Amino acid sequence: MIDNKTLVIGGLVIAILIGVVAVFLASGDPDGMESTALIIQGQKSLIGPTPPDAEIQENLEGKFAYSAPMPDYSLGEGLGSTGGILAIVGGTVLAFLVAIGLVYALKIAGKKNPPDGIL
Amino acid sequence: MHIPDAFIPIWQGAIYWIIALVFVYLSLRWAKNELNEEKLPLVAVLAAGIFALQSFNLPVSMGTSGHLVGGALVAIVLGSPFAAVFILTLVLIVQGIMFGDGGITTMGANILNMGVVGGFVGFYSFKGLKAATGSMPVSAFIAAWLACFIPAICASVELWLAGTFPLEMGMIAMGLYHAVIGVIEGVITVGAIYLIMNVRPDMVDQGVLPAKAGAVA
Repeated sequence: MIDNKTLVIGGLVIAILIGVVAVFLASGDPDGMESTALIIQGQKSLIGPTPPDAEIQENLEGKFAYSAPMPDYSLGEGLGSTGGILAIVGGTVLAFLVAIGLVYALKIAGKKNPPDGIL
Repeated sequence: MHIPDAFIPIWQGAIYWIIALVFVYLSLRWAKNELNEEKLPLVAVLAAGIFALQSFNLPVSMGTSGHLVGGALVAIVLGSPFAAVFILTLVLIVQGIMFGDGGITTMGANILNMGVVGGFVGFYSFKGLKAATGSMPVSAFIAAWLACFIPAICASVELWLAGTFPLEMGMIAMGLYHAVIGVIEGVITVGAIYLIMNVRPDMVDQGVLPAKAGAVA
């Protein structure tokens, strides 16, 4: 048994370590869905390697487009792996804080409303 | 298996969003009613851990990589499929809005696949297998494999309906890659359950612990 403080600090340290290691060791190959798209577009075979110049052709007609502030867990070419580490650590801490914030918000909302309230 | 905006037309994305929101609502209700504040540290740590694990693309040969989903792990440890919907939804929101990993209009589909299907498949297959075999690691491994494989098949059907993938090739490729990724998902899930069980047996759902584990705590 460890106490809550150790659980939170230990858990965050493990999560951040996984994220930092990922910046250096994560595979650059496309994921399962991207690979499938490349097969369908004739750029890759089912079990063959992915050619380095393979690129998914997207049909954007009738689709929504959004530019995320830190696409691909990167802060841009200039910052390289430092940017990658900052992005992943930031995202990990953000996921942690959103979870805490959301649970507190639900509990506070719960105290204001009677048990048969909206949530 | 995060579906980007470019893979599904907006109107179809809206349909998945509506279905997903029903489950998100139920998961918020679960969090409010079932989640006591003593479990909050574990929930927050799991959210951080799932985010980090999902950013780690592991090589699975065949020119492809894959990362863990985590739906089975969360549902098993916290003892409810809605735990997976709750945590996967907030992780997918952070990933989609901040990092462009998974689309905005397709976030509903991603919540549906990884959170809802992954969580329900992971939780109920674990429960059934644990009752049948009595073995936590065997049950958790198979449940985690299924919770990776079946959402991938769901995604291939959604992408077929969207006109992005042909049905057969999409299912073969998505199925094959995620069958391999699922093995890693199974191993990590079992390892993570053992770790959490050892450090905080009091926070782990009773369904995970062996019958005589009362003495461990």
